[in-house]
Amino acid sequence: MSENFRADSLPPRGRGILRRQVAGYSLITLLVAALVGVMLWGGFNWAVEATNSLEFCISCHEMRNTVYQEWQKTIHYQNRTGVRAICSDCHVPKDWTYKMVRKIQASKELWGKLTGTIDTKEKFEAKRLTLAEHEWERMKKSDSRECRNCHTFDGMKLALQKDRSRKQHEIGLEEKKTCIDCHKGIAHQKPKGMKGDEDDDV
Amino acid sequence: MNRKLIAATAAGMMLATAGAAQAGAPDWSKVPGKTITVFYPGVTPIEWIRKGVDHSGARGMKKGETCVVCHEKEAADIGKRISTGERLEPSPIKGKAGSIPVTVQAANDGANLYLQFTWKQPPSAGGKKMDADNPVKIAFMLEDNKVELAHLGGCWSTCHNDLRTMPEAADDKKTKYVKDGSLGTGVYYDLLQWRSGGGGKSFDGYVADKRVMEGGKGLVSAEGKESGGTWTVTFVRKLEGGEGDIALKPGKTYNFGFAIHDDNATGRYHHVSLGYTLGIDTKADINATKQ
Repeated sequence: MSENFRADSLPPRGRGILRRQVAGYSLITLLVAALVGVMLWGGFNWAVEATNSLEFCISCHEMRNTVYQEWQKTIHYQNRTGVRAICSDCHVPKDWTYKMVRKIQASKELWGKLTGTIDTKEKFEAKRLTLAEHEWERMKKSDSRECRNCHTFDGMKLALQKDRSRKQHEIGLEEKKTCIDCHKGIAHQKPKGMKGDEDDDV
Repeated sequence: MNRKLIAATAAGMMLATAGAAQAGAPDWSKVPGKTITVFYPGVTPIEWIRKGVDHSGARGMKKGETCVVCHEKEAADIGKRISTGERLEPSPIKGKAGSIPVTVQAANDGANLYLQFTWKQPPSAGGKKMDADNPVKIAFMLEDNKVELAHLGGCWSTCHNDLRTMPEAADDKKTKYVKDGSLGTGVYYDLLQWRSGGGGKSFDGYVADKRVMEGGKGLVSAEGKESGGTWTVTFVRKLEGGEGDIALKPGKTYNFGFAIHDDNATGRYHHVSLGYTLGIDTKADINATKQ
């Protein structure tokens, strides 16, 4: 086409064809952009989910040599029905918005990794209580949201539980407790020096 | 002549008393038995029990729940986990039995309480004998609803973190005691024990601010024998008592617990029961009915 081409020099029929061609290109561009968008978005979420895998978590020795070993001795690792909860099931919210907030908060852990804040057994043990308390606080604030991904009081048939569990859950329901109030240490060793609530003492 | 007469009278009286005890002794085959599992408790003093952060059952205790309500059916499992050192036992004894199921029978004849304990001797762990003189000891405690938490935990209120053989003990002679315990205020446990050594010896004492093994007037007799690997120990105690004895009255219930020092054990290395109620002719966990 000539450089001096102008649409209004076209006869009416030509202007129509051009409009359809531009529309066509726009449509194709839109479709391609949407496709790229989906791929980027999907890629982004795929990458986020990759950071939720067990393999990713234990790729750091700080986790592999400590809490991972402890978890393997608990009911959340192996049980009668084979239902397993991996790291992200308890430590990463499933809901997208809460998940994003958590992922941003967790970027602090990269700094910890770089500076080696818990890179030896001794350093880890020294910080165990602090780290545990952070998680317990987070869980308490969300009414044990990650526990409730799988467990609910409504879904519990107390009559099927053993005496001790049934009694504790009856009390928990009555006192409007949240899971983490009592189930600290369910998947990892309890730290020494836990403060405890005087309200729980007799 | 006088001395002979006195001696003869004394002998006659003793025979009569023994005879009376025998006469009142129930037909044990007709007395219902309750199986109570005594288990190895490791290091679980009352101070630990009361702290919710250590023992979440403290929450239930605040609501008046007894130890039995949560723990009775799992006593054997608890004993196994503690005796193997999995929990709450810093110095596990290899091969120590986790628990011992015991049949407890109780009866009364209007004047005496009869308590019989029967159990199968678990295999010995071998190793050094802590109490070389006594392969087996068995003791029970009774309390009249005055000691703190005794209505929930039986004799557990005598168990503290500073007792001899406990890891935090500063005094290796400190015996069991009750917080604010005193005979005068009635805050004490009556304690009766039978030891297998030396042909069998029995003791009647109490645990108040400390444990006193003798001086009780309630014990009439305690006999034990082992046959084919099964122990049977029978206590006869007057319902009435003297100082340091809990007076037992028909229609009342008392807090009760017992323990076996198996395999020449001493101190905290015993197997203990949870807390139960003993009733005299009245509804209780163990009802000593008139025979």
